[in-house]
Amino acid sequence: MNNNKSGCIFICVCFYFLKSYALTNRRLVLLHMSVFSQTFSPCGRFLAAGNNYGEIAVFSLSAALSPDATGMSQKPILTFAAHEGPVFSLISTDTHLLSAGNGEISAWSWAELTKRVSNEIVNQLSDNSLIVGGGDNNIHIMDMETGTFKSVLQGHKDYIHCLSFREREGELLSGGEDGAVRIWDARTGQTVHCIEVFKYEECTRPQFGKWIGCLTTDSDWMLCGGGPALSLWHLRSMSPTSVFSLAGCQREAVFYQDLILTVGEGPYVSHCVPGGTVKAQIPSSSPSLNTLTLNLNSNEHRVMTTAGSSDQIDVFTNFSYRAFSLSF
Amino acid sequence: MSTDPLKKRKTKVIRGDGGTPETKRIRGDADQAKFPPALPLVGQRKLYSGRKQDVRVYNEEVELEGRDTEQDYILYKSTCEAVAKLMAEIQDLKASGAKEGSMEVEERRRRGSVHFIALKKLNRMAHMRLKKARDQTHEAKQRVDVLHLQLQNLLYEVLHLQKEIGKCLEFRSQHEEIELVSVDEFFQEAPAEISRPHLTKEDPHQLTLARLDWELEQRKRLAEQYKSSLCTKEKILKGIEMKKEYLNSLQPGLQAIMQASLPVQEYLSMPFERVQKQAEVARHLPPPLYVLLVQASAYGQACDTNLSVSISGDVDEAKALSRPPEDSQDDESDSDAEEEQQNTKRRRATVGVQLDDKRKEMLKRHPLSLCIELNCKDGSILHLFFYYLMNLNILTVKVKVSASADLSGAISAGELLNPESLLNCLYASDHGQETPNPANRYQFDKVGIVSFADYVAELGHPYVWVQSLGGLHFSSDSPQVEGPHSSLSASHMESTMKLLRGRLQARLALHKQFSSLEHSIVPVSNECQHLFPAKVVSRLAHWTMMSYEEFVELSFVQHVMKAGLVRNTDLFFMATVERGTARLQAAVVLNPRYPEITPLFSLSLLWKGERSGRTDDNLRAMESEVNVFRSELQGPRPGLQLLTNQMQRLCVCLDVYLETESQVCDGSEGPREFPREKMCLRTARGPNRLKPFKYNHPQGFFSHR
Repeated sequence: MNNNKSGCIFICVCFYFLKSYALTNRRLVLLHMSVFSQTFSPCGRFLAAGNNYGEIAVFSLSAALSPDATGMSQKPILTFAAHEGPVFSLISTDTHLLSAGNGEISAWSWAELTKRVSNEIVNQLSDNSLIVGGGDNNIHIMDMETGTFKSVLQGHKDYIHCLSFREREGELLSGGEDGAVRIWDARTGQTVHCIEVFKYEECTRPQFGKWIGCLTTDSDWMLCGGGPALSLWHLRSMSPTSVFSLAGCQREAVFYQDLILTVGEGPYVSHCVPGGTVKAQIPSSSPSLNTLTLNLNSNEHRVMTTAGSSDQIDVFTNFSYRAFSLSF
Repeated sequence: MSTDPLKKRKTKVIRGDGGTPETKRIRGDADQAKFPPALPLVGQRKLYSGRKQDVRVYNEEVELEGRDTEQDYILYKSTCEAVAKLMAEIQDLKASGAKEGSMEVEERRRRGSVHFIALKKLNRMAHMRLKKARDQTHEAKQRVDVLHLQLQNLLYEVLHLQKEIGKCLEFRSQHEEIELVSVDEFFQEAPAEISRPHLTKEDPHQLTLARLDWELEQRKRLAEQYKSSLCTKEKILKGIEMKKEYLNSLQPGLQAIMQASLPVQEYLSMPFERVQKQAEVARHLPPPLYVLLVQASAYGQACDTNLSVSISGDVDEAKALSRPPEDSQDDESDSDAEEEQQNTKRRRATVGVQLDDKRKEMLKRHPLSLCIELNCKDGSILHLFFYYLMNLNILTVKVKVSASADLSGAISAGELLNPESLLNCLYASDHGQETPNPANRYQFDKVGIVSFADYVAELGHPYVWVQSLGGLHFSSDSPQVEGPHSSLSASHMESTMKLLRGRLQARLALHKQFSSLEHSIVPVSNECQHLFPAKVVSRLAHWTMMSYEEFVELSFVQHVMKAGLVRNTDLFFMATVERGTARLQAAVVLNPRYPEITPLFSLSLLWKGERSGRTDDNLRAMESEVNVFRSELQGPRPGLQLLTNQMQRLCVCLDVYLETESQVCDGSEGPREFPREKMCLRTARGPNRLKPFKYNHPQGFFSHR
């Protein structure tokens, strides 16, 4: 939580092995584990997940999904300690796995990771630069080639929860603890719009606060939620078109075809339709969920995975029920 | 001229015994036969018979003997030819026109008739010869039969004799069974009058006889020797008897002297007597207890002066029991037999009573037991009573604590020093409820004991470490019980004693802590002061004990149950922490191996609705803060303050939770219930917006982990 961000990305060639914890009981550790982030490898055959102890575990999806999968194939093929604090974000580029911890970003070679077996939000631009948002209320854009920061977007009054990039318009959206959704022009670094979601009566929920926990875009549409209720916005008119009546605060939402999938407080994945109704709530094994990802990189391993406040990562081969759980 | 004799002969043939003159005459006839064949012959014979009828009888048979068959055959041939010739002449004549009855024909007919007569005779003779030959053959056959019969008899006799010979050869004499000295030895040792070498060298029969004689001689001699030995033995026995009596008469005197010397020993502080007595009693200990005694006292002498060992129990009974002390297994069968007798005596006893008796017998303890006392620094003593179950071949232990201070204060601490559970899980999962000897299960089946756990209260706990201390090792693979090994006991002694002491200290420390927790004071020692901020507002309100059943009922502990971190041997407590209107309930699971195993807290907060670790990520983070970071909280080794530090941290976390919650929760009406007093770098972080629960000591602010 400090402001002096590390200025470069560590390309780690050496391997970190699981540190032997001073913690006595692994089962106790597992009981209190939360998974904050997950991402699929570029080939779509591996899933990396980061937990609150700073460990990243790599699972083999192809092994877990194969017909002769055993209990062992639901265990990670590799677990390593990546950061001191929790691993808040994981994304993968074509060659590397980027992990964001408390004040540092590390890059891990996928090839090396799979061969043998913060910054708070990271997102990536098409021209090979990395957008980083986090605890210092600012958004930084870094050139991946040189490792230098190109520009800083200032404006949020509290830390940034989520980022989304609209490639076609060259616009960047960010949501933060201060309750604002800011739309930036990525080239000039200026705020184009600022939506304070909590000020809209249909969205606001004062008992939960005003923070924006999740943000995602799809052409002209934006989805945001958190303290305020999850709502679908039309960006050209800058107005909420529908508000979803979900009980808890949402932490991650994605568009998938005509469906909106969202997770947050409560042990279920909610399926919503853009019209504003909640179609289904599919139970999961964790009491609350932090992250939801879809594996679109590989056709044969096309699954959805969710994880939250437990050591289990639920795998959905079909949206309508949980197939099995991977476990740390 | 030949017609007449021919006729006469026909009528006057008389057979009779042949005489010599006749044969001579026939021979003469035969000589003459070369000439006009039969005529003179026949004529002569007729002559004789006619004349000398009374003197000699013509005997054709006699004549027959004199004739040769070959010649007769030639005669026959020639006669036949002659007849044929005459017939042909007659035919010729008749053809030439001779009349019937003419001279030439008549003449030839006469001659033909003579020839016919001769043929007739030849025929007769042939018949006679045949008959004679037959008779002869018959006679010869009879002779042969007689001879054959004789032969058969002789053969039978031969067989019989052979059998008899065989029987004789197989006859066994009794002397063959007598063991004799070898021949060489015999010749060396036996005197000449018995051995008689000149006779016996050649004749094996004599040799055997002589050897038998020698054997008899020797045996007689040995029998005499045996008698005399018996006499001397008798004498020696008498001597021993006398000497024993003498020694017995000495004992009272010696005892008197010993008695008199006791004050002197005491005065000189040399406890020979006591040590000797213990050694004396120790001889009657069963082997496992003996091993334990030796090892424990050795350990006590070498490493731990605060450990003392003593033997208690009925020595006389043990003496009676232990002929050789290893026979405990045999005892069982003996006592079974006894029991049988008893049972037959009182037949009316029901089956149930019999089973009861059998059970009692099986669970019988050895009359001697061992008491080990562990003295702690603060003056409390742990008494361990070790018993040996003879028929089950296991050791059990009972425990008693005598504390230095008054321990009546805490109600919730009742279970802590409960002798039943004090030593539970000294080593992981050693509950001491089931017998560690796999063979016992079969014994139990026989008498209908379901589980040893039913008898634990009475007999003591058969912990595995107790067996190890006694040198008993039961491998799970084979139910074979090996003899007690001192080395096994020695290898376990030190660690076990340390664990026992550690357990007692932990329990005593907990006891003290509990009594202050019950008074709503969380004791924090000076060493651990830096772990917490100076001002903690939340207060412990209640500290109560719970049963396993009550614990299981709680809704907010289900995830802990599911994770398999709770056993029914654990101790359960409920702590209530309060601040203002907020009320935090913490269910605490205390493993018997505390402080080695961290107590486990599960939280439920009653404030603006109910929240638990399952539903609220921040409460979950608090649980983790309290449960996981043991190394920060345990304080000085061996970590006896772990529980109280966890309690204190819980209070601190509740403060942070409440103060930041009201901060985050904007838009609430009126003044905040909990003003923010704690310094926080950031009130929320991460997607689940956790609160900063980590206290940084010298600066005194809270941060995220």
